[in-house]
Amino acid sequence: MTRARIAAYAATGAVAYALVPALAAGNDFVLGLLVAALTIAGVSVAWAMLANLGGLVSFGHAAFFGLGGYASALLSMKAGCPVPAALVLGGVAAAAGGAVALPALRLRGPYFALALLAYSQVLRIAVSDLRFTGGAAGLLSIPRLPAWGRLDLASRLGTYLLAATLVLLATAAYDAVHRSTYGLALRAMHDSELATRAVGVASTRLKAAMLLASAFVTGVMGALNAHVIGFLEPPYAFSGDWTLLPIVGAILGGYRTLWGPALGALVMFLADQLLFKALLPYGHQLVLGVLLGAVILVAPEGVASLVPRGPRRRGRHAVA
Amino acid sequence: MALLAQALYSGLLVAASYALVALGLGLVFGTMRVINLAHGELILLAAYLACLGEATLGIPPLLSIPLSVFAIAALSLGIYALVDRIRGDREVSSLLLTFACAVILTNGILMIWRGDVRSTGDGWLTAPLVFGDSLFSMRGEVLFCGLGALLAVAVHLWLRRTWSGRAIRAVASNRDAARLMGIHPGRVEAISFALAGALAAVAGTALYATRSITPFIGHDLTIKAFVVVVLAGIGSVGGIAVGAALIAVAETLTVSFLSPSLQPLVAMLVFLCVLLLRPAGLFGARREGTR
Repeated sequence: MTRARIAAYAATGAVAYALVPALAAGNDFVLGLLVAALTIAGVSVAWAMLANLGGLVSFGHAAFFGLGGYASALLSMKAGCPVPAALVLGGVAAAAGGAVALPALRLRGPYFALALLAYSQVLRIAVSDLRFTGGAAGLLSIPRLPAWGRLDLASRLGTYLLAATLVLLATAAYDAVHRSTYGLALRAMHDSELATRAVGVASTRLKAAMLLASAFVTGVMGALNAHVIGFLEPPYAFSGDWTLLPIVGAILGGYRTLWGPALGALVMFLADQLLFKALLPYGHQLVLGVLLGAVILVAPEGVASLVPRGPRRRGRHAVA
Repeated sequence: MALLAQALYSGLLVAASYALVALGLGLVFGTMRVINLAHGELILLAAYLACLGEATLGIPPLLSIPLSVFAIAALSLGIYALVDRIRGDREVSSLLLTFACAVILTNGILMIWRGDVRSTGDGWLTAPLVFGDSLFSMRGEVLFCGLGALLAVAVHLWLRRTWSGRAIRAVASNRDAARLMGIHPGRVEAISFALAGALAAVAGTALYATRSITPFIGHDLTIKAFVVVVLAGIGSVGGIAVGAALIAVAETLTVSFLSPSLQPLVAMLVFLCVLLLRPAGLFGARREGTR
């Protein structure tokens, strides 16, 4: 590990585990908001991992989010599965949902994006029609997170710490993949998939792995959300917001960077909830649309790329 | 039997509205390979303009078409101006950019008109029209079905017979070769966007005249339009008509004989099957979607 990398992790850990709890402890409103923001941030990291390493822009992450939430809720309610295990299994279920979507890997850019969008709609409609998922009425009184020793995960502070840990783990996993030989192959595919295949990289298999990993992380965040909110219904669990917000966050923060997606999502979500919503009670997401459009036109590499960083900037590709 | 006949007849009327919705999207997609994810929102905005005209000025929806055609075409040109500014990978960036436009339009509509459900109060358009003794419909549906068919034929002829229509097809098939033949690709693309906007204006008015609208349905319209375009394959007006008819009739049959709650599933399943089994669409010549 380079010194800068250790410093980045240490600083993030200090802010997440010491500074924020110290400032926000006791303020349930802020902590609740942070949990929601971190949920989006986790999906944002997962989306960016697929977009940056896999080269696949998805418009259907709501599918994985909803699958994770429903699987975890059902397992803990009907099969008596302990909640922490259900969280992981929610991710597994979402990955299984990703496996079903694997044939879409044959499709090129926009077609892939819209096939996944259709997939998320199919799931929403199917779940509304199934008996054991509670149908359109949804699931009520989903078990809360348990207490671990003296830390009650169901308390606002406990939930916050769990959510922050999950986002950090997702980021660290993304970093690890990125720096591995697989990451190297994936990045090479970004420049020329044909050339990468020609030197013997199984590009489709790598992209499939990225899709499954991204779906897993998204599913875990969906599962966390289900146990925090305690209630699920198909239009909520598969809402387009679970696709829109992570995309805006990742694009704003720079989806080719390591910390950009999570940071972008946190800033975007908090600004939306605290500022835009207060200014524009109806249609506050308009601002998000403007931000997304502006970033794509002006700074496709993310807002941070607008800050001049001297000659070192040149040649820095993706996560440095 | 009467149920089947009614299902087929309703399907046909719905097909016209789907074709109208898909025509504009298909035009831009065919010309620029850009999927305008804000297309449904443009249609929805036209519907709200018709609603505004009716509610505040007392203009019947049909007469608001000339005004909204210009307004929506101008807005569509604005979206083109934005898409045109994209540097780098246009295929995916334009998707995200028009997605942003869609979010802006949906929320703008929500801001101005709030979330209420609206539908026309025009008694003439909503009057029942019965053919034979068992085929029920509204006068507005039949009217816009005819108008949709007329516009589809007009677009088809325009693409085949006029210079600008041929220029669009030339740019669609080979942008560089078209440029060498003295065609200005940017201008042709702008024309296709403006025309798509004009078609969206008619589609939106039809939507308002025959159904109820809320600010949240723009997304569904875009998806429905894209499904029809993918089913049809690129660059085929006739294909769009057939694709729209297939999906609409499949939907009304599902509603009549299976369950109304499964209706939204039909288009999605058709879409996924076509994408995965025959990405060039039923009528498209080339394999477009796969690598």
